[in-house]
Amino acid sequence: MEARRMVTPVPRAARRRRWSPQVRRSFIKGILFISPWILGFLFFNLYPMTKSFAMSFAEWHLRIPSEWIGLANYANLLHDRRFWTSLYNTVYMVLFAVPLTVFSAFVFAVLLNLKLRGRSVYRVIYYLPSIVPVVASSMLWMWIFNTNNGILNVFLGYLGIKGPSWLTDPAWSKPALILMGLWGIGNTVIIYLSGIQDVPVSLLEAAEIDGATWLQRLWHITVPMVSSITLFNLIIGVIDMFQYFTQAYIFAAVQAGTTAQQLGSPLDSTLFYSVYLYNRFQTLKLGYAAAMAWILFVIILICSLLLLRASKRWTYYESEGT
Amino acid sequence: MSAAGVTHTKHRISWRKFLSRTLGHVIVFSVGLFFLIPTLWMSFTAFKSRTDVFRFPPTLLPYDVKEVTINGERYPLYRVPIDGQMREFARLKVEEGNGTYVNPQSPDEVVEMRARLTEPVIAIKFHWNNFSDAMNRSTRPGLTVNFWTYLKNSTIVAALTIFGTLVSCVPVAYGFSHIEWPGRDAVFVLVLSTMMLPFQVTMIPLYLFFTSTLGWGDTFLPLVVPSLFASPFEIFLLRQFFLTIPKDLIDAARVDGASDLRILLQLIVPLSKPILTAITIFTFLWAWNDFLGPLLYLNNPEHFTLAIGLQDFQGQRNTAWNQLMAASVVFTAPIILAFFFAQRTFIEGIKLTGTKG
Repeated sequence: MEARRMVTPVPRAARRRRWSPQVRRSFIKGILFISPWILGFLFFNLYPMTKSFAMSFAEWHLRIPSEWIGLANYANLLHDRRFWTSLYNTVYMVLFAVPLTVFSAFVFAVLLNLKLRGRSVYRVIYYLPSIVPVVASSMLWMWIFNTNNGILNVFLGYLGIKGPSWLTDPAWSKPALILMGLWGIGNTVIIYLSGIQDVPVSLLEAAEIDGATWLQRLWHITVPMVSSITLFNLIIGVIDMFQYFTQAYIFAAVQAGTTAQQLGSPLDSTLFYSVYLYNRFQTLKLGYAAAMAWILFVIILICSLLLLRASKRWTYYESEGT
Repeated sequence: MSAAGVTHTKHRISWRKFLSRTLGHVIVFSVGLFFLIPTLWMSFTAFKSRTDVFRFPPTLLPYDVKEVTINGERYPLYRVPIDGQMREFARLKVEEGNGTYVNPQSPDEVVEMRARLTEPVIAIKFHWNNFSDAMNRSTRPGLTVNFWTYLKNSTIVAALTIFGTLVSCVPVAYGFSHIEWPGRDAVFVLVLSTMMLPFQVTMIPLYLFFTSTLGWGDTFLPLVVPSLFASPFEIFLLRQFFLTIPKDLIDAARVDGASDLRILLQLIVPLSKPILTAITIFTFLWAWNDFLGPLLYLNNPEHFTLAIGLQDFQGQRNTAWNQLMAASVVFTAPIILAFFFAQRTFIEGIKLTGTKG
């Protein structure tokens, strides 16, 4: 917010016509300093974006000339069962995993904010799993999910529950991935925790004097005060979930027993959007994969915008209130 | 939670406080187990023997059959029922389901018994050699590739990426904070909006560009070179920090005739150590964990990083879980170390991520 004020306002009429030598010099200087980003933007964003857009209208070959086929890639996607499966699997995760993760992160942050002895130790324990590399944590959880020897089913066995075949049952593979995701939730918890700590103590104390219970204070003060963080976590969660890849890739690789010959196993239940896209890329259906990428981009944009728009009803920014 | 102004009901309050505090402890602890046990499971599996890994029911700590030395030879110890009593005997051999057992204290006392009637005596034992086995294991015949190779490659990629990020993002963030130029803020919005772009959209053309056009396939270059061109998240973090440095300070330096480059290197950089540390750590984390990048570009196992090399442990039929976990511990250890050395920086950095929302 500060930055906006720091730029000397250039009168609208003068902007295009002529810059004083001083303004021109500072413009050149600014451009020079940000030139690494400009080059990066051109080479690693703009160029590949336009190219993949173009590719999505072509049967793209590596060595022989590519043919333009118009909307055929997009039309074929409509009839591709695996495409719809991958979209379904991904939407499943977005609808279930993202809200569950954000909700749990909030609850865990509230727990970690309780004034308990050993609180800092708990914070470290809750946070540490999130810095375990995704590849390592996925391998670890495949071992935990092992039907016979995994600790999860052994633990469930103690409770008298017969644990499912997490790895081989298509009905349980996605819940397994969600559970694994909850384990690495630390970053989101920390973001919430910092938001909860910023809630003015005076507000909470005033409510307490007025006789509000702990739960009432949580629901009527803390939840609205961190609503902007909730929005941020939801948007980031949705964007990340649409690109969900590594965990599913490793899951399938362990499943199939070989190095990812069977993406999406068991029975395509972990064939997520990005996994299928990677599979199309691997099999050199480049135009097809590019079309998928662009659809993904549009879906992500629409979801983010919808969330932003809907959030106007339930988010609260401190600056608005005063 | 302060109980100011309610002293007249002190007794009831403190009783309720005690209850709610205990409840809090119970909940925080139980949820904590969900986070703690898998972590411990990974660490302890790394120390287990091959047979111990598949012990049922599984134990958290590594156990192994106890051994005794008789006449210079080591034998496993078993619990043997003799005259209605369980006694600990060493097993010499098993033939057709019949075991020969001997009393370790008096080696003349030998009994024969069905092996299934006996059970091994187990004791905690840490197999430290899992780590060296995992590191030196070479799964690819004809290639001198082992986990040390991957560790070295990961370190090189991470170090170069950190270097590239720092060198490129610092001047860019300066250009977005302490130089005033027309259009700056509009361009900055563009920088932030590129964070929305999914990797998949640029993946295929970039892959073709790096491998076919530049011939960089199977090298570290496609992983490292992009970092020289400043990434939006790091620019954002740095810029936010640079803006907290008083403008007066910079103006004073300008009046004294310092060039922008000098202001950046001799004034701003020394003042920005905390954020530079944070960015170093984040970039390290990112490069160290990156899976898709190496998966796309690296084909030769000699160039693999840890993230993709870890798959070596998945066998066709059985997986060496103990070695896989040992390798995972090695993979994770640098990050845990970084966390404990720079805990504050870690946490502050993550908070910064959230506050932009």
